[in-house]
Amino acid sequence: MLFQWGMGRQKKQINDGVKQEGPDHSGEAADVPQEPMSAELAVNLDIIRQTTGQSSDVVIRRFSLGQERQIKAAIVFVDGLVDEKHVYEFLLTPLLEASFPLSLTEKEWFPWIEQKLAAVGGVKHVVDWEHLFLELFSGETIILLDGVPSAVSASTKGGQYRAIEEPQTQIAVRGPREGFTESLRANTAMIRRRIKNPNLWLETMQIGTVTQTDVAIMYIKGIANDEVIEEVRARLRRIDTDSVLESGYIEQLIEDQTFTTFPTIYHTERPDVVAANLLEGRIAILIQGTPFILIVPALFIQFFQAVEDYYARFDIATALRFLRVLIFFLSLVAPSIYIAATTFHQEMIPTQLVIAIAAQREAVPFPAFVEALIMEVTFEILREAGIRLPRAVGQAVSIVGALVIGEVAINAGFVSSAMVIVVSLTAIASFATPSFAIAISARLIRFGLMFLAAMFGFYGIIMGLLVMILHLCSLRSFGMPYMSPLAPFISTNVGDTLFRIPTWMYRERPRLINQKNIIRQSGDQKPQPPAPTRREKEDGS
Amino acid sequence: MKRPIAMFVSFFVCAVLLAGCWSKKELTDLAVVIAVGLDKTKDGRYLASFQVVNPGNVAGALQRGGGAGGVPVSIYTSTGDTLVEASRKASKKLSRILYYAHTNLVVISEEVARQGLNGVFDAMERSHQFRTTARLVIAHGHSAKEVLSVLTPIDKISANQIIKTLEFSEMSWGQTINTDVWWAIRGLTSSGRNTVVTGVVIEGNPQQGKRQTNVQSSVPDARISLDGLALFKKDRLVRWVNGSTERGVLWVLDRIKQTNITIPWKGKKEAIAYRTMGVKTGLKVKLKNGQPSILVHIQTEGDISETYVPINLADYRLLFQLEKAIGRDIEREVKQAIETAQHEKTDVFGFGEAVHRADPLLWKRIKKEWDDRYFPHLRVTVKVDASIRRTGLRNTPYIK
Repeated sequence: MLFQWGMGRQKKQINDGVKQEGPDHSGEAADVPQEPMSAELAVNLDIIRQTTGQSSDVVIRRFSLGQERQIKAAIVFVDGLVDEKHVYEFLLTPLLEASFPLSLTEKEWFPWIEQKLAAVGGVKHVVDWEHLFLELFSGETIILLDGVPSAVSASTKGGQYRAIEEPQTQIAVRGPREGFTESLRANTAMIRRRIKNPNLWLETMQIGTVTQTDVAIMYIKGIANDEVIEEVRARLRRIDTDSVLESGYIEQLIEDQTFTTFPTIYHTERPDVVAANLLEGRIAILIQGTPFILIVPALFIQFFQAVEDYYARFDIATALRFLRVLIFFLSLVAPSIYIAATTFHQEMIPTQLVIAIAAQREAVPFPAFVEALIMEVTFEILREAGIRLPRAVGQAVSIVGALVIGEVAINAGFVSSAMVIVVSLTAIASFATPSFAIAISARLIRFGLMFLAAMFGFYGIIMGLLVMILHLCSLRSFGMPYMSPLAPFISTNVGDTLFRIPTWMYRERPRLINQKNIIRQSGDQKPQPPAPTRREKEDGS
Repeated sequence: MKRPIAMFVSFFVCAVLLAGCWSKKELTDLAVVIAVGLDKTKDGRYLASFQVVNPGNVAGALQRGGGAGGVPVSIYTSTGDTLVEASRKASKKLSRILYYAHTNLVVISEEVARQGLNGVFDAMERSHQFRTTARLVIAHGHSAKEVLSVLTPIDKISANQIIKTLEFSEMSWGQTINTDVWWAIRGLTSSGRNTVVTGVVIEGNPQQGKRQTNVQSSVPDARISLDGLALFKKDRLVRWVNGSTERGVLWVLDRIKQTNITIPWKGKKEAIAYRTMGVKTGLKVKLKNGQPSILVHIQTEGDISETYVPINLADYRLLFQLEKAIGRDIEREVKQAIETAQHEKTDVFGFGEAVHRADPLLWKRIKKEWDDRYFPHLRVTVKVDASIRRTGLRNTPYIK
């Protein structure tokens, strides 16, 4: 995975409308009837029943309209997706109470219903089956009338969602407590509440021939780069897949480079992070059914920026940034440095320490590399177990884990205590990396570096890191060089990389992401104490 | 796809061919040599002793597997015409590879030192493992092997014991000098400076010192102690100096940090003790009619640390008198040292280097005969500015 840096960039394949013209996957999906809607209610209802396989959650409720003439009608909705109270109170009741004019022609009945259903948010006229089913399964209620070959869909979306909770992944001591939920609408609302601006635009589309998942692109018109927006649109349109269940599906279908361990798309669970990125000119991709929102383009340094950096004062934030880079470096090379130093470069270890390590290694039967490998793999197993196990069993894992990586393992003569320290340090370092996505890539590369260290010592580690850096410099995220603003070096934006300059110095938005609207705030934002009054001046002199 | 594969292959080919570090050796395959001792056998060959650490028995690293009661170091000896030969030959007795990167001490026997060190250091300097920062001592009275064999109680590895003693004794007493191999080589190659090396002796019975019982007693049967300073002329040891003469050498070399000087007062010998805190020695060369002379200027600051006579230390006039007395005492030590060195015709102070810096052309003319003709008759003036900064927590002593 490291050696892809020589590979040329993939050719762009922008191919509009592939979804409709491409090979027909829809047959396996819904079997939506192609014939036009019938004028007879009974026929239409039969078709609905058959198409949905008589699913029990598809509720069909027949009723009659009008006092003078009984017109047969029906509403269809999916139980659980709609707000049922809403359906009966604002939809069914007004229709039942209304007097249905006899003279109503086919064209007039839609405006009539729309007027009667003023209490309902959105009302749409649906003329074909494909749209009807899409609306139905989006949580809308369908109204069908006898004698009319079309239907009305009324907005009644509702049902149960997880409440807004604190985000589970990017936790901040200081900062908003709310995190995204699985509801796309709730998520967009959380962002809108933060940016009250008509220029915050939202484009929605359905992706997934079977799942028809709502996917939305959100950006601030005028700040985001139009070319990047177009590129995002094009890449999303290219997707021709049956399902999108999580943002990871989309991420892997639109990222620039597959054969890399480094994430080129950022994902977050925090609305304040999305808002901040939108304001820098980035584009958010929201997907129905997941609290993880994608942000493009993503830079390497972004994965070291914790949200709290911007809420804490700059000196602390800068110190923490340095710490994080150190942490990342440690989680990459700590075991390989141990291997290299104890098998190749014993002269680099202080005499007292080399004797202490040698004493510990006396009883260990394996070479240092095998020892390190055993411990690292053991730790990865433990971590995996800890994540996947049900909570109730979790405690057992940590107890057993303490035995495996700890005193008992040392006493059993499997490993040396120095190795345990190295592995623990690596583990803590990889947990302390702010972004899980980058920590996981470090986990993989670590093993590669361990091999190199076992073969070539420090020389191997340096070669490995060199290749890694070359690879990083070759990566791009939606056209943006992954390592910018460090490589290419953009002096005005370096203030938000390893350093975090004081907030009043952030004059410009990141270049390359947006080229035109780069001024963020005026240059005289430095807070100052009030000027001394004349009297104070005189006293002073 | 061809390019990445080519890159991959070329990377690995480079990595394999260019690898300068193809020297993988596990820690458990290494015998960490912590000290090297050099003696001469009767037939004139080198007898090298290697003090090898036995990691399992070093305190602090005691884990499982370490047999309690084992000795922390083990001595291997082998003979050879050259050092490298002796080192290689030792592999017949050792189950591991001798590893010199952590060798911190070189002990040379007096016999070898008297016969000349010239060839000794080449192998040490040339080896990529050996560090020339290893400390150097001369075994005085016993062989180097015997010195290395003595087990020591506090620092379990006796090499560490000697190194730390060297370091702290120079710092707090100032009669021994902490020299390393590099310093010795510098003395050998410079024509304006000769080497001085500290001596090390065994107090007690060296045969008992080898045994574990030596460290099980609060008064060990044998102890290692620093004693004396070996003055070299070129590569040969010519004279041992002790006591205040020893310190006189260090005063000139500007190696004194803290030491204690006792001066007489009002008829009583050893009456008042003065502790130096900061010392600075400068050498100045004066040239008169092509004849160099040296001014040694010593500035020292310190405290009164002890008095055995009633004296009012709050009186500044008395303090001035004391300062003068201290200055005289130091001057006496320094002159004694210089006279000794001049008598032995060896410039251990680096006066020649000072002359070289002051007048390179003159030096070019006289350097060949410096040690034997110029240095013994060199006029050296010693000037000492001692100052008393504090008198401790008390002014007037309780002694009446």
